[in-house]
Amino acid sequence: MSRGFRWSALVVGAVFGFLLTVSGLGDYFTIHDGLLLKNPYIFLMMASAMAVAFAGLAVLRRLGRTRFAGRLVLPHHRIERRHLYGGVVFGLGFGVGATCPGMTIVMTTTGGLYGLVVLVGLLGGLWLRGWVERRQQLPLSTEPTVASIPLPVAPQH
Amino acid sequence: MLGWVSAQWPWWVTGPGVGLCVVALYGLINARLGVSGAWLATIAPVEGWRPEPWRRGFLLALVGGSAVAAVLGPPVTVHGYGRLSEVLPPVLLVPVLLLVGVALGYGSRWAGGCTSGHGMSGCAAGSPDSFAMTITFFAVAVVVTLALHALTGGAL
Repeated sequence: MSRGFRWSALVVGAVFGFLLTVSGLGDYFTIHDGLLLKNPYIFLMMASAMAVAFAGLAVLRRLGRTRFAGRLVLPHHRIERRHLYGGVVFGLGFGVGATCPGMTIVMTTTGGLYGLVVLVGLLGGLWLRGWVERRQQLPLSTEPTVASIPLPVAPQH
Repeated sequence: MLGWVSAQWPWWVTGPGVGLCVVALYGLINARLGVSGAWLATIAPVEGWRPEPWRRGFLLALVGGSAVAAVLGPPVTVHGYGRLSEVLPPVLLVPVLLLVGVALGYGSRWAGGCTSGHGMSGCAAGSPDSFAMTITFFAVAVVVTLALHALTGGAL
Protein backbone atom coordinates (compact mmCIF):
# COMPACT_ATOMS: atom_id res chain seq x y z
CA MET A 1 0.00 0.00 0.00
CA SER A 2 1.62 3.24 -1.14
CA ARG A 3 1.75 6.32 1.02
CA GLY A 4 -0.71 8.08 -1.26
CA PHE A 5 -3.11 5.14 -1.07
CA ARG A 6 -2.91 5.05 2.72
CA TRP A 7 -3.34 8.79 3.15
CA SER A 8 -6.28 8.87 0.75
CA ALA A 9 -8.25 6.52 2.99
CA LEU A 10 -7.26 8.45 6.10
CA VAL A 11 -8.15 11.90 4.76
CA VAL A 12 -11.43 10.84 3.19
CA GLY A 13 -12.35 8.93 6.36
CA ALA A 14 -11.64 11.93 8.57
CA VAL A 15 -13.58 14.37 6.35
CA PHE A 16 -16.46 11.91 6.12
CA GLY A 17 -16.56 11.48 9.91
CA PHE A 18 -16.43 15.24 10.39
CA LEU A 19 -19.27 15.87 7.93
CA LEU A 20 -21.51 13.14 9.38
CA THR A 21 -21.05 14.76 12.79
CA VAL A 22 -21.77 18.36 11.77
CA SER A 23 -24.87 17.02 9.98
CA GLY A 24 -26.32 16.25 13.40
CA LEU A 25 -26.84 12.63 12.39
CA GLY A 26 -25.77 11.50 15.84
CA ASP A 27 -28.92 13.09 17.22
CA TYR A 28 -31.75 10.59 17.53
CA PHE A 29 -34.33 13.22 16.61
CA THR A 30 -32.67 14.19 13.32
CA ILE A 31 -33.20 10.64 12.08
CA HIS A 32 -36.41 9.88 13.95
CA ASP A 33 -38.21 13.00 12.70
CA GLY A 34 -36.92 12.22 9.23
CA LEU A 35 -38.40 8.72 9.33
CA LEU A 36 -41.66 10.19 10.68
CA LEU A 37 -41.58 12.32 7.52
CA LYS A 38 -41.60 15.48 9.64
CA ASN A 39 -38.07 16.70 8.85
CA PRO A 40 -36.69 16.39 5.32
CA TYR A 41 -33.02 16.93 6.34
CA ILE A 42 -31.83 13.33 5.96
CA PHE A 43 -33.59 12.89 2.62
CA LEU A 44 -32.26 16.17 1.24
CA MET A 45 -28.77 15.34 2.47
CA MET A 46 -28.91 11.85 0.99
CA ALA A 47 -30.33 13.03 -2.33
CA SER A 48 -27.82 15.86 -2.72
CA ALA A 49 -24.97 13.50 -1.80
CA MET A 50 -26.13 11.05 -4.45
CA ALA A 51 -26.54 13.80 -7.05
CA VAL A 52 -23.07 15.23 -6.45
CA ALA A 53 -21.49 11.77 -6.35
CA PHE A 54 -23.32 10.82 -9.55
CA ALA A 55 -21.98 13.93 -11.31
CA GLY A 56 -18.49 13.37 -9.93
CA LEU A 57 -18.49 9.76 -11.07
CA ALA A 58 -19.48 10.86 -14.56
CA VAL A 59 -16.24 12.84 -14.65
CA LEU A 60 -14.26 9.93 -13.20
CA ARG A 61 -15.72 7.56 -15.78
CA ARG A 62 -14.38 9.81 -18.53
CA LEU A 63 -10.94 9.74 -16.94
CA GLY A 64 -11.24 5.98 -16.59
CA ARG A 65 -8.47 5.67 -14.07
CA THR A 66 -7.82 6.32 -10.41
CA ARG A 67 -4.94 8.15 -8.79
CA PHE A 68 -3.46 5.31 -6.75
CA ALA A 69 -5.21 2.12 -7.83
CA GLY A 70 -5.06 1.83 -11.58
CA ARG A 71 -8.12 1.48 -13.77
CA LEU A 72 -11.45 2.69 -12.37
CA VAL A 73 -13.92 -0.12 -11.74
CA LEU A 74 -17.27 0.95 -10.34
CA PRO A 75 -19.59 -1.56 -8.66
CA HIS A 76 -22.41 -2.89 -10.78
CA HIS A 77 -24.32 -5.89 -9.52
CA ARG A 78 -27.69 -7.33 -10.33
CA ILE A 79 -30.36 -7.52 -7.65
CA GLU A 80 -30.44 -10.72 -5.61
CA ARG A 81 -32.78 -11.80 -2.84
CA ARG A 82 -30.15 -11.11 -0.21
CA HIS A 83 -30.25 -7.40 -1.02
CA LEU A 84 -33.95 -7.31 -0.20
CA TYR A 85 -33.80 -9.60 2.85
CA GLY A 86 -30.78 -7.78 4.19
CA GLY A 87 -32.47 -4.46 3.46
CA VAL A 88 -35.54 -5.48 5.47
CA VAL A 89 -33.47 -6.57 8.48
CA PHE A 90 -31.32 -3.45 8.25
CA GLY A 91 -34.43 -1.28 7.90
CA LEU A 92 -35.87 -2.76 11.12
CA GLY A 93 -32.75 -1.71 13.00
CA PHE A 94 -32.68 1.67 11.27
CA GLY A 95 -36.34 2.34 12.08
CA VAL A 96 -36.32 1.25 15.73
CA GLY A 97 -32.91 2.67 16.59
CA ALA A 98 -32.86 5.72 14.28
CA THR A 99 -29.22 5.02 13.58
CA CYS A 100 -26.89 3.16 11.23
CA PRO A 101 -23.28 1.91 11.31
CA GLY A 102 -21.82 5.37 10.62
CA MET A 103 -24.24 7.38 12.74
CA THR A 104 -23.54 5.13 15.72
CA ILE A 105 -20.00 6.51 15.78
CA VAL A 106 -21.27 10.08 15.61
CA MET A 107 -23.81 9.43 18.34
CA THR A 108 -21.06 8.13 20.62
CA THR A 109 -18.57 10.97 20.02
CA THR A 110 -21.26 13.57 20.71
CA GLY A 111 -22.13 12.06 24.10
CA GLY A 112 -24.78 9.48 23.23
CA LEU A 113 -22.97 6.70 25.00
CA TYR A 114 -25.78 4.21 24.35
CA GLY A 115 -24.27 4.23 20.86
CA LEU A 116 -21.65 1.89 22.29
CA VAL A 117 -24.39 -0.63 23.08
CA VAL A 118 -25.62 -0.45 19.47
CA LEU A 119 -22.03 -0.89 18.36
CA VAL A 120 -21.61 -4.09 20.37
CA GLY A 121 -24.81 -5.39 18.77
CA LEU A 122 -23.57 -4.32 15.34
CA LEU A 123 -20.35 -6.28 15.64
CA GLY A 124 -22.35 -9.23 16.98
CA GLY A 125 -24.76 -9.01 14.03
CA LEU A 126 -21.93 -8.93 11.50
CA TRP A 127 -20.38 -11.96 13.17
CA LEU A 128 -23.74 -13.75 13.41
CA ARG A 129 -24.33 -13.39 9.67
CA GLY A 130 -20.91 -14.92 9.03
CA TRP A 131 -21.77 -17.79 11.39
CA VAL A 132 -25.04 -18.45 9.54
CA GLU A 133 -23.25 -18.35 6.19
CA ARG A 134 -20.78 -20.96 7.39
CA ARG A 135 -23.60 -23.11 8.77
CA GLN A 136 -25.42 -22.96 5.45
CA GLN A 137 -22.14 -23.62 3.64
CA LEU A 138 -22.45 -20.39 1.71
CA PRO A 139 -19.36 -18.44 0.68
CA LEU A 140 -18.44 -16.13 3.55
CA SER A 141 -19.21 -12.52 2.64
CA THR A 142 -16.00 -10.76 3.45
CA GLU A 143 -15.64 -7.53 1.51
CA PRO A 144 -19.12 -6.06 1.07
CA THR A 145 -17.73 -3.70 -1.54
CA VAL A 146 -16.72 -6.65 -3.74
CA ALA A 147 -15.50 -4.77 -6.76
CA SER A 148 -15.85 -6.82 -9.91
CA ILE A 149 -12.09 -7.32 -9.97
CA PRO A 150 -9.63 -7.27 -7.08
CA LEU A 151 -8.00 -3.93 -6.34
CA PRO A 152 -4.68 -3.74 -8.17
CA VAL A 153 -1.71 -3.66 -5.86
CA ALA A 154 -0.47 -0.08 -5.66
CA PRO A 155 3.27 0.33 -6.28
CA GLN A 156 5.43 0.91 -3.22
CA HIS A 157 7.26 4.21 -3.01
CA MET B 1 -17.40 21.28 23.02
CA LEU B 2 -15.84 24.62 22.06
CA GLY B 3 -18.95 25.80 20.26
CA TRP B 4 -16.99 26.98 17.23
CA VAL B 5 -19.19 25.16 14.74
CA SER B 6 -22.94 24.62 14.85
CA ALA B 7 -24.56 21.26 15.62
CA GLN B 8 -26.21 21.02 12.24
CA TRP B 9 -24.82 22.51 9.07
CA PRO B 10 -27.31 22.96 6.22
CA TRP B 11 -27.99 19.86 4.12
CA TRP B 12 -26.73 21.61 1.00
CA VAL B 13 -23.27 21.72 2.58
CA THR B 14 -23.13 18.31 4.24
CA GLY B 15 -24.89 16.33 1.48
CA PRO B 16 -22.64 17.49 -1.37
CA GLY B 17 -19.68 17.19 1.03
CA VAL B 18 -20.23 13.50 1.71
CA GLY B 19 -20.98 13.03 -1.99
CA LEU B 20 -17.51 14.39 -2.74
CA CYS B 21 -16.05 11.96 -0.17
CA VAL B 22 -17.63 9.12 -2.16
CA VAL B 23 -16.18 10.44 -5.42
CA ALA B 24 -12.77 11.01 -3.82
CA LEU B 25 -12.49 7.46 -2.53
CA TYR B 26 -13.41 6.01 -5.92
CA GLY B 27 -11.11 8.39 -7.76
CA LEU B 28 -8.12 7.99 -5.45
CA ILE B 29 -8.10 4.32 -4.50
CA ASN B 30 -10.93 2.76 -6.51
CA ALA B 31 -12.85 1.85 -3.38
CA ARG B 32 -16.49 2.02 -2.42
CA LEU B 33 -16.88 4.15 0.69
CA GLY B 34 -18.75 2.07 3.27
CA VAL B 35 -18.89 2.02 7.04
CA SER B 36 -20.31 -1.47 7.59
CA GLY B 37 -17.39 -2.82 5.55
CA ALA B 38 -15.03 -0.95 7.84
CA TRP B 39 -16.66 -2.49 10.92
CA LEU B 40 -16.59 -5.89 9.25
CA ALA B 41 -12.83 -5.53 8.78
CA THR B 42 -12.45 -5.26 12.55
CA ILE B 43 -13.86 -8.77 13.08
CA ALA B 44 -11.94 -10.26 10.14
CA PRO B 45 -9.15 -11.64 12.40
CA VAL B 46 -11.77 -13.57 14.39
CA GLU B 47 -12.99 -15.16 11.16
CA GLY B 48 -9.53 -15.73 9.74
CA TRP B 49 -9.49 -13.57 6.59
CA ARG B 50 -7.71 -10.40 5.55
CA PRO B 51 -9.70 -7.27 4.77
CA GLU B 52 -8.61 -4.68 2.23
CA PRO B 53 -5.67 -2.86 3.80
CA TRP B 54 -7.21 0.63 3.89
CA ARG B 55 -10.27 -0.26 5.95
CA ARG B 56 -8.92 -0.03 9.47
CA GLY B 57 -7.20 3.29 8.84
CA PHE B 58 -10.38 4.60 7.27
CA LEU B 59 -12.44 3.61 10.31
CA LEU B 60 -9.98 5.13 12.76
CA ALA B 61 -9.85 8.34 10.73
CA LEU B 62 -13.63 8.44 10.62
CA VAL B 63 -13.81 8.19 14.41
CA GLY B 64 -11.08 10.84 14.65
CA GLY B 65 -12.82 13.23 12.26
CA SER B 66 -16.04 12.79 14.19
CA ALA B 67 -14.24 13.45 17.48
CA VAL B 68 -12.73 16.66 16.06
CA ALA B 69 -16.18 17.82 15.00
CA ALA B 70 -17.50 17.01 18.48
CA VAL B 71 -14.70 19.04 20.08
CA LEU B 72 -15.32 22.03 17.78
CA GLY B 73 -19.11 21.75 18.08
CA PRO B 74 -21.56 22.63 20.85
CA PRO B 75 -20.91 21.39 24.40
CA VAL B 76 -20.97 17.59 24.57
CA THR B 77 -23.16 16.20 27.31
CA VAL B 78 -23.68 12.55 28.06
CA HIS B 79 -27.29 11.96 27.15
CA GLY B 80 -29.85 9.20 26.70
CA TYR B 81 -31.33 7.72 23.57
CA GLY B 82 -33.99 10.17 22.43
CA ARG B 83 -37.58 9.01 22.70
CA LEU B 84 -36.48 5.42 23.32
CA SER B 85 -34.90 6.29 26.66
CA GLU B 86 -37.99 8.31 27.62
CA VAL B 87 -40.19 5.27 27.01
CA LEU B 88 -37.96 2.39 28.13
CA PRO B 89 -36.11 1.97 31.43
CA PRO B 90 -32.39 1.19 30.99
CA VAL B 91 -32.96 -2.47 31.80
CA LEU B 92 -35.13 -2.75 28.68
CA LEU B 93 -33.35 -0.12 26.59
CA VAL B 94 -30.03 -1.96 26.59
CA PRO B 95 -31.38 -5.24 25.16
CA VAL B 96 -33.48 -3.33 22.60
CA LEU B 97 -30.40 -1.38 21.47
CA LEU B 98 -28.37 -4.58 21.29
CA LEU B 99 -31.03 -6.03 18.98
CA VAL B 100 -31.03 -2.82 16.93
CA GLY B 101 -27.30 -3.26 16.49
CA VAL B 102 -27.65 -6.94 15.60
CA ALA B 103 -30.24 -6.06 12.94
CA LEU B 104 -27.95 -3.38 11.48
CA GLY B 105 -24.95 -5.70 11.44
CA TYR B 106 -26.75 -8.80 10.22
CA GLY B 107 -28.73 -6.91 7.58
CA SER B 108 -25.79 -4.96 6.22
CA ARG B 109 -23.63 -8.05 5.85
CA TRP B 110 -26.47 -9.98 4.26
CA ALA B 111 -27.12 -7.16 1.78
CA GLY B 112 -23.45 -6.33 1.30
CA GLY B 113 -23.51 -2.73 2.51
CA CYS B 114 -25.29 -0.07 4.53
CA THR B 115 -26.41 3.54 4.20
CA SER B 116 -23.00 4.61 2.91
CA GLY B 117 -21.84 1.59 0.89
CA HIS B 118 -25.12 0.90 -0.88
CA GLY B 119 -27.13 4.04 -0.11
CA MET B 120 -24.65 6.62 -1.31
CA SER B 121 -21.70 4.96 -3.03
CA GLY B 122 -23.47 2.10 -4.76
CA CYS B 123 -26.47 4.16 -5.86
CA ALA B 124 -24.23 6.94 -7.18
CA ALA B 125 -22.42 4.33 -9.28
CA GLY B 126 -25.80 3.22 -10.64
CA SER B 127 -25.59 -0.31 -9.26
CA PRO B 128 -29.03 -2.01 -9.31
CA ASP B 129 -28.42 -4.01 -6.10
CA SER B 130 -27.73 -0.76 -4.23
CA PHE B 131 -30.95 0.87 -5.43
CA ALA B 132 -32.93 -2.21 -4.36
CA MET B 133 -31.31 -2.39 -0.94
CA THR B 134 -31.59 1.34 -0.26
CA ILE B 135 -35.24 1.62 -1.26
CA THR B 136 -36.03 -1.48 0.81
CA PHE B 137 -34.37 -0.33 4.01
CA PHE B 138 -35.65 3.25 3.83
CA ALA B 139 -39.20 2.01 3.17
CA VAL B 140 -39.04 -0.50 6.03
CA ALA B 141 -37.56 2.10 8.38
CA VAL B 142 -40.30 4.64 7.59
CA VAL B 143 -43.06 2.03 7.98
CA VAL B 144 -41.60 0.75 11.27
CA THR B 145 -41.20 4.28 12.63
CA LEU B 146 -44.72 5.34 11.64
CA ALA B 147 -46.16 2.07 13.02
CA LEU B 148 -44.38 2.42 16.38
CA HIS B 149 -45.49 6.06 16.52
CA ALA B 150 -49.12 5.04 15.98
CA LEU B 151 -49.00 2.01 18.30
CA THR B 152 -47.48 3.98 21.19
CA GLY B 153 -49.93 6.86 20.79
CA GLY B 154 -47.15 9.19 19.68
CA ALA B 155 -44.77 8.33 22.51
CA LEU B 156 -42.17 7.00 20.06
